Amino acid sequence: MTSYLLRRLFYAVLTFFGITVATFVLIHSVPGDPVTFFIGQQGLRNIPPETVQAIRAEFHLDEPLPKQYVRWVGAAVTLDFGISIIDRRPVRERIFEKLPNTFQLNCVAFLLAALFGVPIGLWSATRSGRPAERISAVGFFLLYSLPSFWVALLLMQFFSVKLDLFPLLGMTSDNYTELSAAGRFTDRLKHLVLPVVTLAYAQLAIFARFSKSALTEVIRQDFITAARAKGAGPAKVLLHHALRNALIPLITLLGITIPYLISGSVIVEKIFQWDGIGLLYLQSIFSRDYPMVMGLTVVTAIVTLLANLLADVLYAVADPRVRLGEGHD
Amino acid sequence: MTDSGVDSLWRLTWRRFRRSRLASLALLYVGIITALALLAPLVANRKPLLQRTAAGWNSPALTDFWIADPDIDLPPVETTFALPAPVAFSPNTIALASRLMPPGGGHLLGTDDLGRDVLSRMIHGARVSLTVAFFATFIALLVGSFLGALAGYYGGGADWIISRLIEVVLCFPFLFLVLGIVALFKPSILTIMIALGLTSWTSEARYVRGELLRIRDMEFAHAARASGAGDARIVFRHLLPNALAPVIVSASFGVAYAILTESALSFLGLGVPLPTASWGSILTAANEHIDYAWWLILFPGMAIFTTVAAFNVIGERFREALDPRSD
Repeated sequence: MTSYLLRRLFYAVLTFFGITVATFVLIHSVPGDPVTFFIGQQGLRNIPPETVQAIRAEFHLDEPLPKQYVRWVGAAVTLDFGISIIDRRPVRERIFEKLPNTFQLNCVAFLLAALFGVPIGLWSATRSGRPAERISAVGFFLLYSLPSFWVALLLMQFFSVKLDLFPLLGMTSDNYTELSAAGRFTDRLKHLVLPVVTLAYAQLAIFARFSKSALTEVIRQDFITAARAKGAGPAKVLLHHALRNALIPLITLLGITIPYLISGSVIVEKIFQWDGIGLLYLQSIFSRDYPMVMGLTVVTAIVTLLANLLADVLYAVADPRVRLGEGHD
Repeated sequence: MTDSGVDSLWRLTWRRFRRSRLASLALLYVGIITALALLAPLVANRKPLLQRTAAGWNSPALTDFWIADPDIDLPPVETTFALPAPVAFSPNTIALASRLMPPGGGHLLGTDDLGRDVLSRMIHGARVSLTVAFFATFIALLVGSFLGALAGYYGGGADWIISRLIEVVLCFPFLFLVLGIVALFKPSILTIMIALGLTSWTSEARYVRGELLRIRDMEFAHAARASGAGDARIVFRHLLPNALAPVIVSASFGVAYAILTESALSFLGLGVPLPTASWGSILTAANEHIDYAWWLILFPGMAIFTTVAAFNVIGERFREALDPRSD
């Protein structure tokens, strides 16, 4: 097990450097110079060339690229991504300011999706081929074919505009500071409902499909047939033999869903004006705040990397075949 | 080649595919949408399809087939006969007098905030959405098959490097990557196709790698090698065709996902530059008039949803049809 985990850890370190190289190369292959873009955007004219040169030197843009990369990645391992070009505050500070908001949204969505998706998927695996299963399978498809921004607009129009049940935008109401503790809690909860639903429904479909195919795969295997042949009833076969094996692959969902959730956050946060990293990312690419774009890209990729690493560890704990090194790379 | 196993597998798969009524319907729907997209300028155009003037018969709508309607004032023409297009509006004609009109009364699906006909914009938007989706998927297919084949056929170091590369790509939140590439390089239909293609090849690469690992040491591969075929010939002529089926399944899901992503990009204002219509960009206007213009939300969203669902259903049914254990 130790050698397996050490290998995964080594790969994770490699992947981290891959992430930083990819981010760096991508940003530096963008045509145009951020300094001149910034000056043009601010509508400033007649900037003396010495000043431009000074700004370039301040952000180390005048050095050769490999040197810039080493400098940047050296700081990036401590999550120091320099200062934002826009408001000159440290990138790290701003990211960690917004991260909890996104985290809150994604966690609730993830938990809800797992809580409903997994049982539905397992149930439909036991009903394989029957009408109820057929209908639910089509239902999953329809669910994750729905464009999230459309769902958000429909939810807003129905629940906010028409029924006035939930607030349209933002994380808190305008009078939030005047509310009591209980009032603040319900206010936050109310703001959370529509964004969470928008994020969670597609995840729910993915969880359901994944757990369905995991259980279906297990039911087909010989040891289940053997258990049946021994005379174990359907309930015992399912609960005692099949379910435990079917739940293991679900661990990998941890690593798979996180990048999806963060991707989804961009759209959801934009529509609901939720003050998280998705919205920050959109603002940063529009204003070409390169340090911020690079910082956010690396931080979100690291979150995924850590989730994958955690999934690997859990997998090794749950599945002895992995632990004892029978294939499974 | 007619009697080879490949052909009969396809025929068998097709027969099994058609057994699902839903999937057949989805295929038909995709066909109709594709035809509408291809023929958009002949379906929705303010210029007549066919007219007779003093100079004789001509077709003004046909001139828009490759190059979009320049949207300038049309000179008045004396006609003795004119056959209008089924939807008699061009997608970009601004008419402020008839802005935000609900469906009915001339405009079947209403008008947007600039008075443009929503149905016409949706028909022309299908062109953009499908073009982007098909080409992006094609790029992903090429890149994925190539890297997957390299990893699967050679194994060892090549496999190791490509597997690490896939791990790196999968760590990035997909939309972050696409948004970043599209926004920082100039947003255009080409940028979007390339950005989508270069970020979504990982599943294709994994399938091809897995298949090639499985079949590269089978007898027919050894036979090809023994008869003097080089690596490239073995891979492209003998191995890849056998790995095609799972790749096509993943391509069908890929098209669905590309349509979703393109519409999301357009919705966020980072898609195909305006005024070119795309399904997502119609919804951007809807966002600003959410308290009123329900038709701006409902119809374009429906178009995205049904098309994506159709591609997903096709992919899933195709996967089932290929799986000997199902049915």
